[in-house]
Parts: sequence; structure tokens; C-alpha cells
Amino acid sequence: MTAPRPRVLLVDDEDAIRDNLGPFLERSGFAVSTAADGEQALESFARDKPDLVVLDVLMPRLDGREVLRRLRASEQWTPVVLLTQVGESYERAAALEEGADDYLNKPFDPQELVARIRAILRRTAAGVPSLAGTTKLASGILSIDRMARRTWLAGAEITLTPKAFSLLEYLMTHPDEVISRDRLLSSVWGFDFPVTSRAVDHRVAELRKALGDDSGDPVWLETVQGLGYRFVERVERA
Amino acid sequence: MRYALAFVPLALGIALTTVGVVAGDPREVVVGYSFAWLWFGLGLLASGIALALVVSRAGRRRAVLAARAEGEAAQRENQARFLSRLDHELKNPLTAIRAGLSNLDAGDPTVESIDGQVLRLSRLITDLRKLAELRSVTLDLAPVDLSELATEVVDALGDTPEHAARAVTLGFPRAPRPLPAVRGDYDLLFLALYNLVSNSMKYSAASDTIEVRGSEGDGTVTLEIADTGRGIPSDEIARVWEELSRGRGALDVAGSGLGLPFVKAVIERHGGTVNLESREREGTLVRVTLPV
Repeated sequence: MTAPRPRVLLVDDEDAIRDNLGPFLERSGFAVSTAADGEQALESFARDKPDLVVLDVLMPRLDGREVLRRLRASEQWTPVVLLTQVGESYERAAALEEGADDYLNKPFDPQELVARIRAILRRTAAGVPSLAGTTKLASGILSIDRMARRTWLAGAEITLTPKAFSLLEYLMTHPDEVISRDRLLSSVWGFDFPVTSRAVDHRVAELRKALGDDSGDPVWLETVQGLGYRFVERVERA
Repeated sequence: MRYALAFVPLALGIALTTVGVVAGDPREVVVGYSFAWLWFGLGLLASGIALALVVSRAGRRRAVLAARAEGEAAQRENQARFLSRLDHELKNPLTAIRAGLSNLDAGDPTVESIDGQVLRLSRLITDLRKLAELRSVTLDLAPVDLSELATEVVDALGDTPEHAARAVTLGFPRAPRPLPAVRGDYDLLFLALYNLVSNSMKYSAASDTIEVRGSEGDGTVTLEIADTGRGIPSDEIARVWEELSRGRGALDVAGSGLGLPFVKAVIERHGGTVNLESREREGTLVRVTLPV
């Protein structure tokens, strides 16, 4: 007997997106149900108990962020991937703060969505508690407060530039996942220029220096040759 | 309205005089005035009138400038709103098309070709959005060493296969002192300079010269990006900063027409200026000036 297919709830008010993305997710190995607005999403969620929700932000009646807030307020920690409409950085920061596990800017590569869903489900299956919506995170002697945007090393506060902090936050909320420079650029910087991947290296070097992390024998930030970066140490709620 | 106000004293005088004449007011006023002081009086009157004229003209000029600045700001805002609406309206259809295409056979050349074109449209949308966002995004300000930045830009361009063989001459002063750092957003300035140097590479041949120079002015630092490439026809120079504009001589080179508008937006967000001089078949010089 094969393992049951993970159930994904796809919420988007555009028929064309549900009609095309739904079958693609099915073919990628998920059992897909769909909802056309926030209210339907909450009903469908209560009925089907999906393993993961793909949630559009901008919808009539009840928008995606409100749906997410209501789920989290009722202690539902099912992973949520937000499809953000506005590419602005406050939207991304807000998405993570409100408890989304990941987010993608439209128009996205459908393969990328599948990769993200699989990474999240892998974490959940491995029993790693979701870090979504958690304000304080710790990894060994390193801890951060995502709301206050502060960082501590062995109890002593260190100062990071805003960009370095956002980078650390993103890597820390996706532990043990190899994250490409392009993905960091579009998620943390909001740029989709592949040419600026050096900007990522620049910030990672800055971050390593601030944390005293040795790139040759890293405690936290590992360079995955030719692929990107990975936060290697276990991350916990603090 | 303000003109009418100027006639209030006259109207008042006419009214009082009319009342006086009708009532038959018999009183007279005889003013004695020393002839020697007449010139002073006339001079004072003439200066008063001249001053009023000058003041009113300056006021009008200020009003015209203010109205023009307001108009430009409104236009920029309109354009930003239009861009963000366009971006918003195109996003959902593109998402649906990309999802639809991924349900088809990826090996089919037609699918592959459509996929490529959709990707191109997606990039355009992203770039447009970035441009609209730039006007409101918070800059991550820190001291930026422009000579270091230029070196990194040239190194980064060397990483791309099409530019690997191109040499760029960097000219930054060391004596009597290096350029002072500017306060800026490193990533945005990097992208701006990357765009400019990559333009120089795209629109010149391997045998051409490309130079990036830095110099210090009064409270400013100036970067010059110069090439001996194909140049831009004089009638097209004014349009290079407009979104999506592509020159006649640039159509054989891939580009979105958004690079220079992006550069301009970045530099202006830093309180700087950017201008371009070019002659066809001789080359192009872009001058970026940033406050220290």
C-alpha cells in the first residue's frame, strides 16, 4: 500500500488559477481541494482537514491574511503558503509574522510552488514543529526576536543591519533547507534579478562575521556549493 | 479675485467723493510742498511702483515653478499608480498561464516557445513592479565605498559568459585621498552601476574602451561610466530615461527598456542626479552625482 497523498487546499478567487494550478498539483502527487474565497476556505478547512493550505492574499469577502489570522487564532498550525499580491517587503515581513510558513510572489513558477510545498511537508513529517508565527527563535547560543528585530549571541545582544537580520530570519525559519541565492533575493530583497546574487554572498559574509561563524566549519550558515545556503543547526521556539 | 482686492481703496475713494460732492461738502484742503522735495517724492513713488512690479513678478514666477513641480509630482504619482495597477492586473492571468503550461508536455516545441514568452512577460512585470516600488521602498542606508562597489560590479559582470572577456578600466583617485564614502543602499547602488556598465558592454564591441571613473566635488562624488561604443542618435537621447523606450540602434540587443529608468529612480532616491551625453558612433558618457 502506498502512503496516502498529502491533501492540499488551494484557495484563490481566480477560476483560471484554480483550474490550471489544481490539476498541476494533482499531477505532482497531491490530493487537491479548492476554495474560491476566504469563507469557503474556512469551511473547506474544517471539513477536509488538509495537510497544507496554499492561500491567495487578495480575495473578496475574506482575504487571505484574515483567513490565516483566524486559523492561527484558533490554534490551527497547518502549514500555509501565501501567494502574495504586493511585492513590497512589508507584505513579506507581515506574511511571516502572521504565521505563514512561506510565501511566493505572483506570477511564480509552478514547479517552485511544488518544491516549497514538499520542503514544508518534509519538515512537518520529520516532526519539526512549525516555526511559523513564532516570535522568538533559538539555535544553540544564537537567538532572535522577530518582532523586535533583535539578535543575541550567548545572551549578549549583537547589532545586525536590517537586511542581514531579514536574511538570518529567513534562513532560520527554513532550517535544513537548501535555499538558492535567487530565492533569497526574491524573498528577502524582493528582487528577481539573478545578476545580483553577489549581493546575497555579501550579506552572508557580513552575517557570518557578526555571528563569528566560520564558513569552512559552520555552526549555522553552510554554503552549499553551486546551490545556495542552508541553516544547518536545529532551530527551536525560544 | 486678488486683482479686485487691489481696487478696494479706489472704490472707497470714489464712494466718499461721490457722497461729498452730492452732499456739497464745502471744505477745501490746500497742501503746501517745497519744490526741492518734489524730486524725493516722485522718486519714492516710482521706486514703490517698481518694487511692487518686481515683487509681483517674482511671486508669479514662484507660483509657476510650484505649479510645475506639483504637476510633475502628480504625474509621477499617477504613473506609479498606473504601473502598480497594470502589475496587479497582469499577475493573475500570468500565474494561470504558467500553471496551465506546466500541465502540457514540456518537450513540445510550441509549449517551450510559449513558456519562454510567458517568462519574458513575467520578468517585465517584475521589473515594472520594482520600478514602482522603488519610489516608496525604505532604503537600507550605510556608508558605501564607490570604488569598492565599482570593482565588485566589474567582477560580477565578469561572471556572466557574454561579458567575461570584456575589460573595464577603473579610475579612482588614491592621492591625496580616496573618494569619501556616500550614504546609500549598497544593493540598489550596485544594481544601478551594474546596469550602466552592462549597457556599455552591450552597446560596444570587444575592441572598444570602457572606463569607470570617480571624482570628488564640493560635497558630492561623481561617477562617470564612459564607452567608445555605438552611441545614441541625438534625437533619442531625451527619451532614454522613459520606461520601455528602446532606441532604433538598440533593437538588435536584448533589453527591456527599463534599465535606465531604474538607474534614474535609484540615483534620485539617493538625492543624486544622473545625465547622459552621447554621440552616434563615438560613444556614451553617463555621469552620476551623489551627495556625500
